[in-house]
Parts: sequence; structure tokens; C-alpha cells
Amino acid sequence: MSGYLDPCDKCEEVMQPYLDRALDDGERAEAEAHLADCGYCRKRYRFEESLRVFVRQVCAEEMPPELKQKLAALRTPL
Amino acid sequence: MGEPDTAEPDEARRIATEARDRVRFEEEALALADQVYRVARRFVSSREEAEDLVQDTYARAFRSWQSYTPGTNLRAWLLRILTNLNVDRGRRIQRRPDELPLEEHDYYLANRVAETGGEQVLDQDRVVERLSQDSIVTALSSLPDDFRDVVVLVDIGDFSYADAAQILDIPIGTVMSRLHRGRRILKGELADKAVE
Repeated sequence: MSGYLDPCDKCEEVMQPYLDRALDDGERAEAEAHLADCGYCRKRYRFEESLRVFVRQVCAEEMPPELKQKLAALRTPL
Repeated sequence: MGEPDTAEPDEARRIATEARDRVRFEEEALALADQVYRVARRFVSSREEAEDLVQDTYARAFRSWQSYTPGTNLRAWLLRILTNLNVDRGRRIQRRPDELPLEEHDYYLANRVAETGGEQVLDQDRVVERLSQDSIVTALSSLPDDFRDVVVLVDIGDFSYADAAQILDIPIGTVMSRLHRGRRILKGELADKAVE
């Protein structure tokens, strides 16, 4: 196999760092240029993004209020 | 021949400064407790364990507050303590990543649901709507520890790759590959749940 990457494969490859906001400006612009043209990749990105948002929302469990008091009680007395 | 006049005021000032810094540290740390708990809750399987872990973390943080460098990421510093305590507790079952079945590919979840949902689920966006809250929580808790730690820190804790690497004491490249594989496994688990 040559080093050539299909634009969609390349897009797939940078999807994770793109969605995690870990690309540099150049890489980001390149990914966005491809996304603007490619409905398939846009759909892939949207799916991954919505899955991530969903995981984040669902897993955000509130801290029990009593715990906050217990933690405050661990402070060094003045 | 008395003590130099300045000795006592200096000492008093030092103590006052230290007390003020400590109070500030404790307040800043407590303000992050919600976020620390949210991550802790997904590191362990029960709420009680998460509470214990967070309490132990804060007890240790308050004891060793002077080893924190002001101006650096306090949330990451706290999570580093929490992660170490969690490892010390022996909760973790170390599985070698190589032993994991990694046949799943990225399209697995979307495809599985699309297959069973027929024409209506052609839009991948709708796949996510079909997943239940429980299925995500269960799938996340069934991830091998090494993978879950990274997914939880980045996806739920919103830490950067660099922070996650520092917290877990692993290279950034390892964070990225574990994240990638962890999310894949997660999607595989979710696919199984979504079609049950």
C-alpha cells in the first residue's frame, strides 16, 4: 500500500482529535474543508459528536449534598 | 542580649501567609468537588465507593497541599491523587490490552442499529436517541479499567489529552490509542444493548 490516504479515510483518522479539540489550526481547517464537501463524513462526525454529548450528559451524576459537608469538615481548623 | 527584634514578627507573618494560602487552596479545591465526584463516580461501581474515594482524595489533598504548585491545573492535581488512591485500593483488574477482542469497528454501532431498525434509522443521528441511559452507564462500567479511566477523564471530566496523560502517568500517545479503542469497545457494547 502506498502512503496515499483517501480523503474520507484521512477524515476518519482525524475525527477523534478533531472532536476532542486537539488538532492544530491547519489540521482543523483541512478537516473542515473536507467536511464541507462530504456528506458522508459530516454524518459520521455528527454521530460521534452526539454520542459523546449523550455519554457526557447521562454520566454527569450530581454529588450528594452530604458529601460536600463531609469534605468541608476535612479542612484544617483555623 | 535579646532575640533580634524582627524574628518574631517575621515568624508571625510567615504563619499568617501560610494560613491564608492554605485557606485559599482548600476553598479552590472544594469548589471543584462536583467535578471530581463526577469522574470518581464513573471510576468505581457504586456511589458509596465514589464518596469514599473523594473523601480520601480531599483528606490527602488537604494534608499535602504544599506540594501543589499554585497556577497549575488544580483539578488535574486532585484527579492524580484520586487515580493513585484508586489504584492503591486494588480495585483495578489489570487486563492486558492485547488480550481484548477488538473486532468491533467504528461503524458497528450505527450498522447494528440500522439493520434492526430498518429504513427509519438511516439517519445515524437517530441511533443515539434509541440508547437508554442505563445502557451507557452499564457499557462504560464494563470497559476494562485502563480504557475506562481514559474515556472517563476525557469524555466526562473534559480533560485534555495532556492532562489525562499527566493524571494517569502515561504518554499522550497511549491516551489517544486507549481512548480510541475504549470508545470502540463502548460502541460495541452499546450496539449489543441497542438491539436487545
